[in-house]
Amino acid sequence: MSPPLLETYRVGRRYGDFVALRDVTLRVHPGETVAIVGPNGAGKTTLVNVLTGLLRPSEGWVRFLGSDIAGAGPVRLAQLGMARAFQLVQVFPELTAAETIAVGALAQAGRGRRMLASLGADRALRARVEEVAAVFGLGPVLHRPARELSQGQKKLLDVASAFALRPTVILLDEPTSGVATADKHGIMATLTEAARRAGVQALLLVEHDIDLVETYATRVVGLRGGEVLADLPVRAFFADEEVTAALVGRRPARGAQG
Amino acid sequence: MRGGALLAALAAVAALAAAPPLLGEYRTTLLLPVFGYGVALLGLNLLFGYGGLVSFGHAMFVAAGAYAAAVVTGVWRIESFEAVLLAAAAAGLALALPVGALCARYTKIFFGMLTLAFGMLFHSFLFKFYGLTGGDQGMRVRRPTLLGLEFEELDKTAFLVGPYYWYCLAVAALLALLMWRIVRSPFGLALRAQRDNPRKAEYLGVEVRRTRFVAFLVSAAFGAVGGAMLAVPTGLADPELAYWTHSGTLVFMTLLGGFAHFAGPLLGALAYVLLQDWLMSLTPYWRLLLGAVLALIVLACPQGLMGLPALLRARLAARRRRAAAPHPAPAE
Amino acid sequence: MAALIEVLAAGLFHAAVLFLVAAGLQLVFGVQRILNLACGSFYALGAYLGVTAGGLALGAGLSPLLALPLLVLAGAAVAALGPPVERLLRLVYDRDESFQLLLTFALVLMFQDLIRMGWGSQPQQVEGVYLAYGQVQLGAARIPVWNLLVLAAAIAIAGGLGLFLQRTDFGRILRATAENRRMAASLGVDTGRVYAAVFTLGTALGGIGGALVVPAAAAVPEKAVELVVEAFAVVVIGGLGSMPGALAGAAIVGLLRAGALLVWPELELLAVYAVVVAVLLLRPAGLFGRPAA
Ligand SMILES: Nc1ncnc2c1ncn2[C@@H]1O[C@H](COP(=O)(O)OP(=O)(O)OP(=O)(O)O)[C@@H](O)[C@H]1O
Ligand SMILES: [Mg+2]
Repeated sequence: MSPPLLETYRVGRRYGDFVALRDVTLRVHPGETVAIVGPNGAGKTTLVNVLTGLLRPSEGWVRFLGSDIAGAGPVRLAQLGMARAFQLVQVFPELTAAETIAVGALAQAGRGRRMLASLGADRALRARVEEVAAVFGLGPVLHRPARELSQGQKKLLDVASAFALRPTVILLDEPTSGVATADKHGIMATLTEAARRAGVQALLLVEHDIDLVETYATRVVGLRGGEVLADLPVRAFFADEEVTAALVGRRPARGAQG
Repeated sequence: MRGGALLAALAAVAALAAAPPLLGEYRTTLLLPVFGYGVALLGLNLLFGYGGLVSFGHAMFVAAGAYAAAVVTGVWRIESFEAVLLAAAAAGLALALPVGALCARYTKIFFGMLTLAFGMLFHSFLFKFYGLTGGDQGMRVRRPTLLGLEFEELDKTAFLVGPYYWYCLAVAALLALLMWRIVRSPFGLALRAQRDNPRKAEYLGVEVRRTRFVAFLVSAAFGAVGGAMLAVPTGLADPELAYWTHSGTLVFMTLLGGFAHFAGPLLGALAYVLLQDWLMSLTPYWRLLLGAVLALIVLACPQGLMGLPALLRARLAARRRRAAAPHPAPAE
Repeated sequence: MAALIEVLAAGLFHAAVLFLVAAGLQLVFGVQRILNLACGSFYALGAYLGVTAGGLALGAGLSPLLALPLLVLAGAAVAALGPPVERLLRLVYDRDESFQLLLTFALVLMFQDLIRMGWGSQPQQVEGVYLAYGQVQLGAARIPVWNLLVLAAAIAIAGGLGLFLQRTDFGRILRATAENRRMAASLGVDTGRVYAAVFTLGTALGGIGGALVVPAAAAVPEKAVELVVEAFAVVVIGGLGSMPGALAGAAIVGLLRAGALLVWPELELLAVYAVVVAVLLLRPAGLFGRPAA
């Protein structure tokens, strides 16, 4: 098997006396879509924060593409090729959709610091922005400020700007939270398709919607009380009644529409 | 749209260039500070409008530029105004390097307080170190040469309303062009991105602190160059230039013009200078009226003069809607 | 030694006055989250009201020994401005901080001229009170009793404020509102009334601070803008919104200025701002503030 892209070893994280993560060992390989599931407060967001270098683990280590990234910070990770979208949708309210995507695209091209280059005259940038926007269906709203977009469009824009970094790995913390149930599959389909087209090698996904997990994930990591209870291929995960009962409550009726 | 902006800018420069003979000496003198303030405010607004950082210490850089002009012309006896402007920019940068490195770590109220504290630190240095700075007397700024020309045949006023006026207009126009490039560059985009959402900006690879720091440096250099331009007509660099109320006035001017628009600070400089002159002619208590105007802008028109058309349009549309629908429409 | 004691006493006198103004600033910041640049204007107004009231009363034959309560009352009269000004500020409670700051800056400009309209630009003082209480002899040092009285008054006010905030129902409501506006409102607290009361109290404190100074030093219109920065320094050093912080910060600033004056006069204010900068960099929340989450 190829070496892991992202790897944690016995990672622990404490907030004061409270242990939010304990002994988490995890590997993400190319081609995988790993879903992290677990009840509220299980430590999913904390794990994502550790994986994206925002939080330094109290114990253990985290590696991305072979280098230690404990507490490396988001900027460095963006440069290395890891992108992230947040649980609560994050946009730049006054920036247009095109500008938002351009922020990521410029950083990826290593041109984000230039002070006298004209954005308007940058053809390559415009092409790249339009390409990313097209994948996410944002073409029609490209020149609208983000604050005017619908919640679903904001979510897509949040993710689209992350994709503009051409990441190797992308972490999505509940990409469909706050979106109407009917739209969830649409967004996930867009995301996975975009990831495939953009050459993203692995997706990490925090998701409460079990139906989505079953449809899109290749592997499921179940967290509870900060510990990994299960780390199984998606089929095996859903075949194990005990595990699903402990982690996701009920087994969803197949094909059920919420 | 872009063409429109360019056309408007050219028209404004042409109008200002043609103004002196039409306005006469007194009113032209009145316009002189507009250029210096305009440049200083372009710098301030890079932080305020584009970076979301309200500095209550920007006057420190204006003062630094004025004192640089005094030192270059009065102490070093170098008369070239080009040298003065370069020295002012250098002084502004030198002061901003340590100050900005520290201030770039903060935002919002803490950024405001820290810049205010640094400004007052600089003020008390200017005020107390009599031997170096002339204390409350300040330092004389001597008349410079422009592009090596002395204009000996002109008396002071003729020099100011003639060559100096056009020179400052040109400098302001060039620096506005430079700032226009900066705010439309990848750097300018990063600056606006960190203003709107620093966390998200970092995840998109924006080095937030570095971006703020660089903006601070540019802002300081513009402030100092503006300060040098202001000091020639008054012939004086004095500590009051660095006082915190002057910083407050600079923010006021920017707000008056409209911080959300590129041209806002320039319009704000012009409007403030005219407004102040008019109020001073009305009453010795002009500050009272000025304060009332500021309060009114904050409360009723936070987008300033540049935002006024949009505001009026919105009001009008609302009224028309109300007139068209006499019965309150049910909420959706 | 004598000089040292005299300087120390002057520093404490200054600290006492600064504390009053800073306490007002803290109350308002703690509850309304507004940093009020006009706090210095209330101080200046208090000073001028003190000048007028003192002049009238002494002219009418009031004993200078009754000047202390008289001036406290005159300064507290500035509180009349509290409710209308609070109504104005209420319009920007949920606006960006820069707008709040600018609105209070507008007040600074307006009050500066209102004071000029009322009292002119000449320095004005209450004569014949400062030394009426005599001086105490401490070794070779002589300290005016007035300074000690003001110090005692400030300490009494600080104690009273502490008791008020900790022990009374209204104090508890006030702290709850400072802690969490929305929660307090949902518990049935009339936050509008709390805001008006807090702001008025803050105004009165600033006014009293100003009125107590006029026997010792003349009132000038510029004092309004000078004092803001010092009061600012106090709250930054002590920690925004913290009452013990205001006390400690005022003592530090007062003594620092006095000490610098003794050692190296050029450094007087420089030393204060240098400490402010150091505190902001090393402990942005101030000595007594809670770090922002
Ligand atoms: N900054 C913090 N300080 C203290 N405790 C924290 C902090 N952040 C999270 N926690 C606690 O750590 C635990 C894990 O939180 P985390 O946000 O990682 O859970 P989660 O699995 O993402 O939950 P959710 O499904 O609600 O998003 C929770 O009990 C939470 O209260
Ligand atoms: Mg979470």
